[in-house]
Amino acid sequence: MATFRMLVLVAFRNLFAHWVKTLFVGSIIAFGTLLLVTGTALTSSIDRAMADGVTGSLGGHLQVYSAKGKDELALFGGMFMGAEDIGRIDDYSVLRDRVEAIDGVKAVLPMGIDMATATSPGELEQALAELRTAVRDEDAEAIPGLKARIREILSKVGDELTKNAKITADAARIEEGLAIVERATSDELWSRFDEAPMEVLEYLDTKAAPFTEEGRMMYFRYVGTDLEMFPKYFDRFEVVKGEVVPPGHRGFMFNSKFYEDWVKHFVARNFDKLQSAVVAKGQRIEDDASLQARVRQMSKQYKRITYQLTPSEADALKSELTSFLGEEGALDALLEKFLAVDDTNLAERYAFFYEKIVPKIDLYDFDVGDTITLRAFTRSGFLKSVNVKIYGVFQFRGLETSDIAGGHNLVDLLTFRELYGLMTADKKKELSGIRDEIGLEDVSAADAEDALFGGDDEPVEQTVQRTEGFDEFEGIDLATERERMEAVANATFSKAQQDKGLALNAAVILDDPEQLEAVRPVLEKTLEDAGSSMKVVDWRAASGIVGQFITVVWGLLFSAIFIIFLVALVIINNSMVMATMERVTEIGTMRAIGAQRSTVLFMFLLETMVLGTLAGLVGILLGGGLIEWLGSVGIPAPNDELTFMFGGPRLYPSLGVVSLVFAFVVVFFVSLLSTIIPAFMATRIQPIMAMRAKE
Amino acid sequence: MGSLFSIAVRNLVRARLRTTFLGLALALVTTLLMLLLALSQGVTDTMIRSATTLSSGHVNVAGWFKSKSSDASPLVLDAPKVRKIVEENTPGLDFVVDRGRGWGRVISDTTSLNSGLTGVDIADEPRLVETLQLAPKGDYVEGGGDAIEGDIAGLARPDSALVFAAQAKRLEVAVGDVVTVTVETMSGARNTAEFTIVAVAKDIGMMSNWSVFVSKAGIQKLYALDDDVTGAIQIHLDDHTRANEVMGHLQNVFAEQGYEVMEHDPQAFFMKFETVAGEDWTGQKLDLTTWSDEISFMTWVLSAINSVSFLLMLILSTIIAVGITNSMMMNVRERTTEIGTLRAIGMSRSKVMLMFLFEAIVLGVVSTLIGGLLGMGIAAALDAADVSIPAEAVRAILMTDTLHLVVTPNQLLAAVIAFSTIAAGAAFLPAFRAARLQPVKAIQHAS
Repeated sequence: MATFRMLVLVAFRNLFAHWVKTLFVGSIIAFGTLLLVTGTALTSSIDRAMADGVTGSLGGHLQVYSAKGKDELALFGGMFMGAEDIGRIDDYSVLRDRVEAIDGVKAVLPMGIDMATATSPGELEQALAELRTAVRDEDAEAIPGLKARIREILSKVGDELTKNAKITADAARIEEGLAIVERATSDELWSRFDEAPMEVLEYLDTKAAPFTEEGRMMYFRYVGTDLEMFPKYFDRFEVVKGEVVPPGHRGFMFNSKFYEDWVKHFVARNFDKLQSAVVAKGQRIEDDASLQARVRQMSKQYKRITYQLTPSEADALKSELTSFLGEEGALDALLEKFLAVDDTNLAERYAFFYEKIVPKIDLYDFDVGDTITLRAFTRSGFLKSVNVKIYGVFQFRGLETSDIAGGHNLVDLLTFRELYGLMTADKKKELSGIRDEIGLEDVSAADAEDALFGGDDEPVEQTVQRTEGFDEFEGIDLATERERMEAVANATFSKAQQDKGLALNAAVILDDPEQLEAVRPVLEKTLEDAGSSMKVVDWRAASGIVGQFITVVWGLLFSAIFIIFLVALVIINNSMVMATMERVTEIGTMRAIGAQRSTVLFMFLLETMVLGTLAGLVGILLGGGLIEWLGSVGIPAPNDELTFMFGGPRLYPSLGVVSLVFAFVVVFFVSLLSTIIPAFMATRIQPIMAMRAKE
Repeated sequence: MGSLFSIAVRNLVRARLRTTFLGLALALVTTLLMLLLALSQGVTDTMIRSATTLSSGHVNVAGWFKSKSSDASPLVLDAPKVRKIVEENTPGLDFVVDRGRGWGRVISDTTSLNSGLTGVDIADEPRLVETLQLAPKGDYVEGGGDAIEGDIAGLARPDSALVFAAQAKRLEVAVGDVVTVTVETMSGARNTAEFTIVAVAKDIGMMSNWSVFVSKAGIQKLYALDDDVTGAIQIHLDDHTRANEVMGHLQNVFAEQGYEVMEHDPQAFFMKFETVAGEDWTGQKLDLTTWSDEISFMTWVLSAINSVSFLLMLILSTIIAVGITNSMMMNVRERTTEIGTLRAIGMSRSKVMLMFLFEAIVLGVVSTLIGGLLGMGIAAALDAADVSIPAEAVRAILMTDTLHLVVTPNQLLAAVIAFSTIAAGAAFLPAFRAARLQPVKAIQHAS
């Protein structure tokens, strides 16, 4: 014991005596510990935050899907664009009953994720729809204006078609178009409007509209699910606008991120981005080339505003702009000037834009309450369209700005099934039931392919070229067709109808997330015993590439730390060896007066242990302090990917005991390892060497 | 000078143990740096290769056509004339190709997928024939063996298509099978045509998952385009690093020839639809881009790799620099007597300083050379071994299924220069101290 005390004292004395070395080695160890503590704390905090974000938004704790598909489930997108094949769950209700019976399972939700497109209504289409409404509501005031607008739009179509002749090889179509436009703009047709408005509208809708540009096409992911359960079990879900689709109804909900990024008016979106860059992020247009490019682009977009204005709105805006800018000029030129914002006037113009211009234009291509036509390719490549009402806009709390989470829109499961194109026999019967009820001819679809992929799909071969393509409308009474679509869209369904049918995957919510690893084998066993070949994966595996990303970050962190410690080991070792050389005399003398080799070895190791412990503690304190500080202020997520991984706009890291202990053990081990060679060298010093050195 | 150099070498040899350890640390870090540089270069190469094979030239002359202010079609009119101007005015031109662009759904008997469509005139594309390697049938048909079926030259047929192995596997098709392709035309009509698969190529990174080659005639038919209209004139240069300069030059050339040229927007063409559709003009404007613009959505990977590497190197270099400073300090202290004697017999301060700096530089050059060569060797071996990457995420990020590393002598040169400079820099303070020693004090120290 006395020897030990003495050795500790010697160790301290030596550390002080060789303070340069001590400082040097100590700072490397402390720095290494700091890296280790902050690195592991940050990574495990990201892991927790992401778990919370994924499970609370779309993933649930576990996901169940068929083992028969070619791909793995990737809730947030995989390798092929929107065409993952994860197999299917033919009858979800069977799976639901099995899973729900398991202890610890709180809820199961059916899901199906795919890509769809929707096209915002084109100029003519929009005007025709307005006119249709005006005629139906007998709004005599609006009709003349709308008629004039439609004729004006149509008169431009001829010009466009002539220009298009330059690029197209299909001259016949151009000619056909020109003929139709001539008729559509003729006084003869419009004089008929007063007697038979619907007939004229039908003609314009079916014949003329196809020759005008469609609106903007949007391409997005959508999740078909149980919309009654979804808000209840995914705690990140919140409604921003409108309402949740009522139980038993078909409906669509936009994700607010997608809604703001793609559905919002282009100029408004640009204004928002500029405003957020300048106000929220403190950037300056003057110093930032990409912001300048955005301003230049935005100022060229004035037509997007002017084409939506009625003549009286245009006059009003012109005078407002004239007084705002203090300049005279044509509306287009004034707007272009107005949109060329800079740092000094951005705030003012942003306010003016929202106050004066926005009320005159459609801020969003689709509003809550509108009907949207979703189009998606079925598995076998047919294009399916379904009309569905937009009930609201939602967001995943904390993930509002994340593209990864924000790209998912929600739809009811029945609509999903229709778009997916796969129908079970029951569903088929149910659908023909609805048709019978509303008195439509039965769609006879006997063969298996039709039963599988939805018999009312037009076969691909029939839709070759547009010139022939429009023949498909011949002979169909469009008014009845429209009514039928509306009837299908408005038909309600029961929960049993919803559950008894196809889903692609099922999200399992547990009572206690901590029990994930305990419930999982039970779930797997239950499904296996029932003879269904299903895969059960946790949220991390289910989130696809993004989920793996965190594993990659772990890997990177540990390899970096490993390399850093390896190099540090060599460097520390080197300076220890040199320190040993310097102490040859001292050690030789100790050995001469009777110190054992083991004592010398122990003296060296003890010295390092003391240094390692002290420096390690400093590192832990520094690292711990850093994490504590970051934990209170939060680390802002610099981009969308990180927002998703942080589970919100800021990461609040916290210190785990595990990472502290881990760091300490590693550091202790590394410092011991680095002393072994010098310590053994020291034990080999003979007393005689000490004497010689003295001479 | 020579004697100073040999003193430095002698001292390094004498302090064997210390030299070995410091050298080892330096070599280790250099090896790592070489591997990181090789990875970064590998990813860059994969990107350029993917981009310039699949979707872009080094410079592209593409364009937009608007029949009214609210639409946008990514088309170049009067393509032969535009191409002629390119051919006559591009410095360092290797070759030019003219390709159609599209996006559609490729449908087989069992399933379907979305993909970009590239219309090629195969007779005009000798380089594509060279670059694309056909995949052995086993790559896409289970039990297909090593036999290579099909021929790229088959793309000369108007209804022919070439798909990549991963797509063929997914679509469950082989050479000779027919797929249906559906596209939505600029005016919203849906057009469909059937294509026969004439060849299946090996995948080129991840981007080939979204890329199908069809005959030029096929894409013109799908979009009902006139013969003179094309997607983009793609220019391949002898030296791809000059892409920006050439693009700037061509912008001026076209402007002088009376073409409307759009302001350079460094994005892939398919990101520009919305912006162009909102601009108030009609007719044709040309849009010139470089290969890196067309894959701008992927270049963040490169900057991420480079910044992580930089950070790691910074930490490691600091540790090593501190290590070198520390051991040089001890070195100077040990050799105080020697320095005093040297100074006493007339060696100048600067020479004393040089003597110590040389030591660090020799150590730096030798060990970084060893480490660098080792790194090059490992990188080359890893590249040759075609190590497959386990995580899908990493595969997606690096755009390749197997680890691709590229080593160049320049990387070695850069590493050696960088680390020798760091070594010399770290030795500067101790060397300076040694130089400042007074001969008297130094000799006193000895007694």
